[in-house]
Formats: sequence, C-alpha cells, structure tokens
Amino acid sequence: MGRGYIVENMVEKYLSSLQAPDSTGTSCVTGLLIGQSTSQRDLVALAVRTPQRNTDGQGSPSINRRAWISLDHLDVEWVTEHARQVSRMLPGGLSILGVFLVTVPELSKEAQNILRQLIFAVDKHISKGRLWSLTNEDVTEKVALHICTETRKTVCRTFDIRDPKSSAKPADWKYQLGVCTSWQVLTCSVGLDLLIPVLDMRVLPQDMEKCMKEGLKIWAKQIEVGLCLINGKILADETEIVAGQKKNAKPVQQTFQAQILIPMAEPPSVQTSTVLVKMCSGSLSLKGMVHCRAYLQSNKSRVKDAAKVIKRDIINTVSSRVEMFLEDLLMEGVDNGSVEQVLPRRVFASLPGMTLCVCDYMFPDECLSDVSDRLKELLDWDMPEDSIDTSQEAIIVLRKNIPIKSDMLKSNGLFPSIDTID
Amino acid sequence: GNILFRLKGSLEFKCQLNTTNEPHIQKVISRTFEDLCSQVKSESLVLSVCNSPVFIWPNKGGRATPECLTPNSPCKDLQQFIQQFFMQATTHFYVTCVSFTKLFGSYFSLASFVLLCVFQVVINLNLMTEVTEPADLSATTLMRCSTKHHFLYTAMPMDCVVSLPSSERLSVVYDALVVALCSQLDEMKKVMLRHMKGMTLLIPQPFHFLLPDPVGLVTVVYPAGVPDSQLEIQRKELHSRFELPGNRPYLRRANSLHFPDEPYKDGYLRNPHLHLKPPTLGNGKLYLVQGVYSYHHYMQDRVDDNGWGCAYRSLQTICSWFQQQGYTEKAVPTHKEIQQALVDVGDKQGSFVGSRQWIGSIEVAAVLDQLLGVTSKIMFVSQGSELASKGRELANHFLSEGTPVMIGGGVLAHTILGVAWSETTGEIRYLILDPHYTGAEDLQVITDKGWCGWKSPQFWDQNAYYNLCLPQRPKTI
Repeated sequence: MGRGYIVENMVEKYLSSLQAPDSTGTSCVTGLLIGQSTSQRDLVALAVRTPQRNTDGQGSPSINRRAWISLDHLDVEWVTEHARQVSRMLPGGLSILGVFLVTVPELSKEAQNILRQLIFAVDKHISKGRLWSLTNEDVTEKVALHICTETRKTVCRTFDIRDPKSSAKPADWKYQLGVCTSWQVLTCSVGLDLLIPVLDMRVLPQDMEKCMKEGLKIWAKQIEVGLCLINGKILADETEIVAGQKKNAKPVQQTFQAQILIPMAEPPSVQTSTVLVKMCSGSLSLKGMVHCRAYLQSNKSRVKDAAKVIKRDIINTVSSRVEMFLEDLLMEGVDNGSVEQVLPRRVFASLPGMTLCVCDYMFPDECLSDVSDRLKELLDWDMPEDSIDTSQEAIIVLRKNIPIKSDMLKSNGLFPSIDTID
Repeated sequence: GNILFRLKGSLEFKCQLNTTNEPHIQKVISRTFEDLCSQVKSESLVLSVCNSPVFIWPNKGGRATPECLTPNSPCKDLQQFIQQFFMQATTHFYVTCVSFTKLFGSYFSLASFVLLCVFQVVINLNLMTEVTEPADLSATTLMRCSTKHHFLYTAMPMDCVVSLPSSERLSVVYDALVVALCSQLDEMKKVMLRHMKGMTLLIPQPFHFLLPDPVGLVTVVYPAGVPDSQLEIQRKELHSRFELPGNRPYLRRANSLHFPDEPYKDGYLRNPHLHLKPPTLGNGKLYLVQGVYSYHHYMQDRVDDNGWGCAYRSLQTICSWFQQQGYTEKAVPTHKEIQQALVDVGDKQGSFVGSRQWIGSIEVAAVLDQLLGVTSKIMFVSQGSELASKGRELANHFLSEGTPVMIGGGVLAHTILGVAWSETTGEIRYLILDPHYTGAEDLQVITDKGWCGWKSPQFWDQNAYYNLCLPQRPKTI
C-alpha cells in the first residue's frame, strides 16, 4: 500500500506553469514539495522551484541546444542548498516532503534516477546540523514527483531515506481544494539564557562554531525531553488536543499556547563532593527571546504530535539563526570581535489563502524589502511588504532595564555595560 | 493533621572567576547565590507535584493546573491528585507506628522513631522552570568574551521541607516553600564559604532531622566530603542551639530522617519487631531497642554460614544499629572482617580468618571495641532459668542504652531486642531476633513464623549457662 499525497489545488496551477526547457535552456525544472507527512495523512501545501543560478558564460545558444537532451547542467549542490535555505523558512510541522522534476519527454527515463539522487542528497543536506532526533513515529518516506512537459503526466513515487538501496514505491497524488485552510497552530515565546564556557584548548573566534554547537546540543536535549503543556493543561500523550469534538465535525483552525517545562538543572551523573572547576579561554552567552510557531494538519492531532512539532521549531529557530549569524560572519571576513551582537530577528509572512505562515530572519541592518526579495527568490512568492509580520520579536536589547542582570555582569569584570542597540 | 511538603531539585550554580584571590572568589560566590535566589523568586519557577498532574507557579499568584486548585484551596486538596498507591503506603505506615506509640507511652522519645511516623502525609515536589516564560523580551544576542577565566559549575542539591496543617491555604504553602528555598540557599552559601580552600569548593548538602519536641523537624546543611568526625564543632553549636543532650548523637548524617517513600537500597529489613503485637502482662511495661537496626541472619550476602554464623549475624545486627544511630560511618563488617578484628587484638590465631569457628559474647564485645570503639557490659547467668529474674537489669539496659543485646549459650546465639516486664509480678517476655533464619527478606514469614518474635522464659535452655553482651552507647555527639 503506497502513500497517498493530498495536494493543495494551487500547487497544480503552479506546477503546470513550469515549462521545460525554460528561458535559460535547461531541460528540466527541479523544485521542492513542502507540507506535512504523518502516519495518517500526507498533505502537500506548497511547491517551490529551484531558483535560477546566475552562471556566467552560458549564453551561447549552441550550448543550450545540446543541453536539451542531457541533464549535465543539473546542479545537485544548488538544489540541496536551496532546500536547506527553504527549510529554515518553515515553521514547525512544515517540512520538505520531497522533490519534483519537470522534464521534456526524452528525459523521462533518466528522471527516476535523478529524483532518487536528489531526494537522498536533499535529505542529507538538510539534516546536517539538526539538533533533534527523528523518532519511530516520523515518516521517513519522501516523495519524488515527475512531470512530463508534453503529456503533463505525473508519476509519483516515494523513497525511504533510511535505506539508500531501497527501490521506489508507487504513491498517489491527488489535488484537493482547501487542504491548508484549517490547520491547528501552536505558538510560544521562549526565553534563552545560555552560558557556554569555551574550554582552554579552544580559542575564540576560530572555535566559536564548534563551541556553540556543543552548547546548543545540550540545551536542545533538555527541550526535547521537556514537559509540554497545551493551553495550560498537562494531558496524556495520546489525548487529542482539540477536546470534545463531534464526530465528523467541520475542522476549524485553532491556536494553542504551548508551554515547555524542564528541570531547573540536571543532577550530576556522578556524585562529586566539590564544585567542578574548568579553565576557560572565554565564553559565549546567548540571551533573549525567540517566538516559535508550529502547525498540525489534523483536528485529531494528539498531544504528543503537538509537543513534537513545537519543540522542533524551538530548537530549529535558535540553531538556524546562530548558523546564519556564523555564516554571515564568515562571509563578511572581517570579525571586529565585538562583544555583543544581535542575532537575526524572526518575521512571518502568511501564504495567501492559507492559514500557514512561512518565516524569515532579518539581520539588524536589513529592511522589509530585503525580506520580500528573499521570499521571492527562495519561495517564488510575491509578498507585499506590509503583509510581513515583524511584531513577534523585539528589535532592541532591553536588558538595561533589568538591574540585577546588568549588575552581575559588571561585577564579574568580564563584560562592559550593555547599551541598547538602535 | 499536618502535611509535610518536601521540595527537591537541582539549581544550576555557575560562575566565572577572572582572578583567584579569595575576596574575589567570595564575592562572586555570594553574587551567584543571590542570583539563584532571584531565579527561585522568578515567574518562571514551576513546582511539580510528584506522581500527579499538578503543576504550580508559586510566583505567579499561585496559578496551578488543574485549575480547580486555587491559592485559597486547603492544601489537603492536593492529595486527591496524587496516585493512590503512594498515598496508601504512607498512611499505612503511620497507622502501624501510632498504635505502638500508644502502648509505649512516654518511655520513648520521638527521636526513637527515626522512621517517619509522625506525619500523615508527605507530598513530594520537584523544581522546574518554564522556558516559555521569558523574563527578558529582548532581541536575541550572542555575547563573546575572550578573557581567560575559571568556570565553576555544579548542580546545587536543594531539599526543603515545610510542615503545615492540612487545612492551610495553598498560597501559604507556596510562599513557605519559596522562602524555604531562599533560606536554604543562604545556608548553603555560608557552608560553602566556611569550608572553601582556594578554588576547592565543597558542595553543600541538606539533611533533615526529626528532633525531640519541642524542636521537631530541622534541616541542616553539611559540606559534602567532610566526614562527621570533622564536623563536631558544627554539631556542638547545633546541640546547644536546640538544647539537645551533649552525650548522644542526633545530628550525624546517619541520624537524618528516612522518608517512607525512599526505600532502603541495601535490601535488609529494618525493625521487623514493629510489626508484631506485643504481649500484655499484668502491670507490665515494654522496654525496647531505641532507633533503627537491620535484620542480619544466615545465608545473607552470599555467605553460607548455616550452623556456625549465628553470633556473627547477631554482631552484624548490633553494628548496623551503631551505624544507623550515627556512632560510626563504618559499614557492617563481614564474617572475615570480624575474624580479622579478633586476630588483630590477639584473641585468635591468624588461621582463624576464613574458618567456620563459632564466637561468643566475649568475642562480640571485643570486636565491637576493636572496630567501633564501643564498650560492652557482660552479664553472666549460670543457668538459663536465671534469665527470668533478669527483668530489671534488661529493662534498665533498654531504658538507658537501648542497644540490641547479643546472648550466647548452649549452642545458640540470639539477639534480644527488648523485654516486656512486670515489676510487680516479675512476669517477663523476651523480644528475640533469631539469626538462624535462612530464608529471604520476607517480613510476613519472619513475623508469622517467629523469627522475630516474643518468647517466654521457656525459650532458654534451662540448664545451660548464658553470656550476654550489652553494648554501651559512647558518650559523644
């Protein structure tokens, strides 16, 4: 029994608008399929083509003619990098379910191999740096969709990413209206206050990434095993989050507040009688508030599904923006080694006609048009600037208003006083 | 009745030292404890009630889930949410001990019942924090510091107890617990500073003690790794503060309260005699062992001493008493260790170790002296029938020393845990713990079959002579 993908109607429109060969002459169009896969249903909300790569020296028509019947120009690395950037824009519950490939009829035979290659490469790339672990309940099959430009015939198969040697399984692909209109939303705001000591053998700034990763891994583990309350209540894992529903009731979108409780500290695994002392060459401190959001497709979702998606969003949003910050630092080349820097801020944009949002991260020196440009480039969506929600996270550092913390930092003699950053 | 609330959990103690001079270290440690106190008072503090779906935000006006637990509800309302099994276990224990308290009357101070039997209910809570309750709504920042420093880290083991009437409002309980946490942090700070040596900082550990009325329940913080023998000054201060006698231990770590929901991990039965119905004698009174002992008998610890080890087992029971009353930190000795002790004092030849030779009361006394520094009185009766007339002496022993007595004679050794004796009629019964039992630690079997039981004077071999070893409590705190 294969999987059955229920796909938002708009995706059909989008996919049919994609032509191969396209304006640059490449004989195939690749892209990502985004949605949510559970053991009950697989829903596809969005399809996004891989953006054009600006390649130099590829203007000559004769080269393009030859490209007609080969997939040599397929840049797997580019596809996976696009996938990685897109997955950062997906709140909890939404993920990249697979890849689509639009080709000319001559390439239909090779298409399956290409899709297989892409599926495994994309999955490998986006799971790098992931700080949470897959569970037994996670669906490990990814969808590979092939569309022929002439016949517009779609071939839908799935691959199990746990087994690179497995063969593709057939799957259903069905379009439906209103697939994404009544998903459940979970939100919360998480306070961060992590102090990561940089042990003596490490040196800042070279080892910053490694130290951050190790510190975040510990924090992520705490979040993963934390207790989750939904709308202020603690419920058994198998309880449905939408209580007291009539059978066959029309699904309505609801927003749920999530709360995560963790022990104040972990008792030591080995009892010691003295306080641990470590020689350090520095430290990293991550402080502030992040806004988190996650989606569940079904009004029959259980507490444990809700807990899983919101926790993953919490972990992802922190690790994504730290990653982006470090990448930016690397790109800039110049590290002024300044003491305190603001991490990118999360903003949300609602997909038209749906209850779902995507998100993006704004660096302090960016403005809304930068976000809008990115959304266009990465998600192929035209998003008017005024529909971008920037209200969920603060721009400035308010810490000066909290006397205890500032005092403590000053008296340690390590940090200068914090100024608000305009 | 009262409910005992016990709040446990770890708090992250972490700080950075950029110099190693003492005044700086002290200042930073004090600041860190102050910081922990603010954490404890913050709105993100959550108390979870163990074995229940109850969570409480004590610093948010006493908000709780389930919502029916309002701050004005009486605290006994918490009980209905706690899994039944745990409630029953505690209540049963209370009932058993109360009925014996009635019989024993004023001969026994509360301190004797180290096993928790005064409180009807113990409600356990854990410290948690809500990460989704941010105190600081600022943008997220990454702060980097490249100064060399020492990083100190530990999980502070918090353990507070608060006893309140079951009709008391929950808001009072919450406030009391937060106050208890802060004052424990203050105590811990003092202990850490008092015992610090450069950057070696000892972790402060709380212990609870049930002291005789009117003092009741107290919590003392001791530094980890410092043995009781080195903490005599602190104990002297406390004995004086609580007006405790200066000749017996009340505040050694071994004297700390053993909560009913914390099973002993070593597998030995404690005080099986408490489950027996004592005999009623005309004008008779009970004179029993004070405090806690473990039942040691044949075949335990994978040692097959069936037929020869009875006196060794009685000696082990006595050693377990001294260890649990805080007179020694040494573990209960093995057969070989007992034998080695006798060789060390010159009483036996080296070949004695590893043999299956019997020992008697004299040897028991010698080992107690050698290993624990405990002196004993030896009582001798030329005939078993004379034991019936030893009521007064045995009663006095249990009143003043309250230690288990080893009795050896004929071919058997036993432990006497107490007597029921009538001063007017002279009638006497002996509470005997029999080391010849070879079965498992089954309380039902042990009490039903009389392995721990009340015996009449006919129990003794009327013609054999007996030696009794009566261990004396060292006069120490």
